[in-house]
Amino acid sequence: MNLDTRLDGRPRLDRRFPATLMAWRNLSRNRLRSTLAALGIVIGVFAIATLGVFGNVLQLSATDSLGDLGTQVVVSPNPEAGVETLTSRDLQEISRATAGKGTAVPLYTDRAVVTGPGTRTGASLYGTADPRPLFEADRGTIPASHRQGALVGSEVATRLGVGVGGVVEVDGTRYRVLAVLAESEGISPVSPDNAVVLPERAFGADGYDQVVIEARSGEAATDVARTLDTRLNVRTERVVVFEFGRILEQIGEFFALLNGFLLGLGAVSLLVAGVSIFNVMLMSTAERRGEIGVLRAVGVQKRDVLRTLLVEAALLGLVGGAVGAVLSVLTVFALWWATPIELAVVLVARNAGAVLVAFGFGVVVSLLSGLYPAWKAASERPAEALRG
Amino acid sequence: MSEAETVAADSGGERFDGPTIELRRVRKEYESGAGTVVALDDVDFGVQPGEFVAVVGPSGSGKSTLLNVLGLLDTPTSGLRLLRGRDVTSLDDEARTRARKDAIGFVFQDFFLIPSLTATENVELPTLFGDDPTATDRARDLLRRVGLGDRLDHTPNQLSGGQKQRVAIARALVNEPAVVLADEPTGNLDSDTGAQVLEEFRRICETGVSVVAVTHDPLVTEYADRTVELVDGRLGGVDDRHRSRPRPRPREADE
Ligand SMILES: Nc1ncnc2c1ncn2[C@@H]1O[C@H](COP(=O)(O)OP(=O)(O)OP(=O)(O)O)[C@@H](O)[C@H]1O
Ligand SMILES: [Mg+2]
Repeated sequence: MNLDTRLDGRPRLDRRFPATLMAWRNLSRNRLRSTLAALGIVIGVFAIATLGVFGNVLQLSATDSLGDLGTQVVVSPNPEAGVETLTSRDLQEISRATAGKGTAVPLYTDRAVVTGPGTRTGASLYGTADPRPLFEADRGTIPASHRQGALVGSEVATRLGVGVGGVVEVDGTRYRVLAVLAESEGISPVSPDNAVVLPERAFGADGYDQVVIEARSGEAATDVARTLDTRLNVRTERVVVFEFGRILEQIGEFFALLNGFLLGLGAVSLLVAGVSIFNVMLMSTAERRGEIGVLRAVGVQKRDVLRTLLVEAALLGLVGGAVGAVLSVLTVFALWWATPIELAVVLVARNAGAVLVAFGFGVVVSLLSGLYPAWKAASERPAEALRG
Repeated sequence: MSEAETVAADSGGERFDGPTIELRRVRKEYESGAGTVVALDDVDFGVQPGEFVAVVGPSGSGKSTLLNVLGLLDTPTSGLRLLRGRDVTSLDDEARTRARKDAIGFVFQDFFLIPSLTATENVELPTLFGDDPTATDRARDLLRRVGLGDRLDHTPNQLSGGQKQRVAIARALVNEPAVVLADEPTGNLDSDTGAQVLEEFRRICETGVSVVAVTHDPLVTEYADRTVELVDGRLGGVDDRHRSRPRPRPREADE
């Protein structure tokens, strides 16, 4: 008979782990119900692990592309206070505050139409005598002291079709192109791609429009920003001191919030899973009341019954958690494959941690949910259980 | 307590001449919302080694209660309970469980086999938690003895009622108990199958094990050495006490 071969093929009860094998057989008895109970854990663990990793990856990608923004401070006049330009006193304060902590580059900014050999285009204008700390050349060289000629951003150069040695015209003045600027990576206070950098004399001499400070470190930047804020904004908010580290902090806070929210979602689904395991365990122990009574009657100790039932709950958690964790890892790699996310931000210890923690939560939730039903069933007096 | 532990621990190696299990002036009361129910009223009861006692009585007369008290599943409200001469009246749960494992076998009307375990595994069940390397062999031997040598790895739902009850009997015997307690062992069986099961009980008695069977079934009393009657928790109406052991069915009843 077919059935016989199937039964012959099944493993003998391993006497070394009676609780585990009894538990496994009990779970196999009602596969659909066990699967559904474990499915809750699968979803919960999957949600926590995936959302946790997802949050990490988002945060890491964001901080990666924001790069070394954290060391930059930008000082600009506050038009709301009627201040249009920075005064030379401001500049003195700034250079005093930055001394030993970084370099300050005063800038004129404007917009203008730039004319090339064949076409014209709108571009941002920056005016500085000291372009080296802020800009990087792709072709040509950036002079240490900028007195003549123009540095052209990569997009402007492409649009106008000019290269090093070519000529561009801004506001009726012709400038020789000294360098084409390197494309910017990430975000920075000056965006060079769509800009033309000119000597200071090209701008009206009524004062600088901003000062970009490149500090040695994040702390130095915070320090400089705080000093300038107190020195320059004594009575009125004359200047705006913008510290990019602040944005980073805010972005960090945002992602922490997002992470918390996502993890909360996952936790709720685990909670629901826990309730479903609780329910399933209550039902299945109630159904097996007589059997459990017999176990006790034939001499199985209460603690062994308890252990068997807890192993049942734990197995649901282990299997559900493992499946959830594997699904989550697969999903994360699918995400990596399908989006421009870099492998480096996927393969970090924190992500493995998120998956492990989610798995651990799954097992713990199952165990906790099984605790009461198992205890209740194991503690019932066998005489009562057998009376049915 | 410590003496009681010793009782539980020694599993019938030594011979004791008196009754295997004995109740003296045992009373069992149940507290319920409606008041106190006296399920056993000053019961004196003992079973000799190798004796088969049938307990009859109307429904609600306390038969199951008697078995539970005898089987250390329940504790008497008052009175004395002795297992092989040792006081086991008020052991704690763990010691009672151990004593059940060592000295008492149970057979129930509804068989109560674990459906996810094979016949052999069901017989092994009392030995499962603990180190017992020969248990599987003993289980298989017992199943062969009760005529189920070709059903060792079948699950309960592949067995007939009589076969299930014989698996249950093998399970009751796996730890070589001093007494087997059966609650309506033939209750779910037709009379032929019931007779086979009772034959089995007779054979058990021949090995010196006591059997107490609670029943409505007159067939059981035919196989028993002695029949006692419970009425409203009182033991009495003992008929045919110590009559010679009947042999009502020839061996052909074996399959
Ligand atoms: N746990 C309990 N709580 C309260 N009363 C109980 C309890 N168990 C049994 N009883 C009462 O004790 C009495 C004896 O019950 P028991 O089950 O021993 O009867 P029985 O002789 O086995 O009956 P039956 O032949 O129907 O199985 C009954 O009146 C019953 O209602
Ligand atoms: Mg009864």
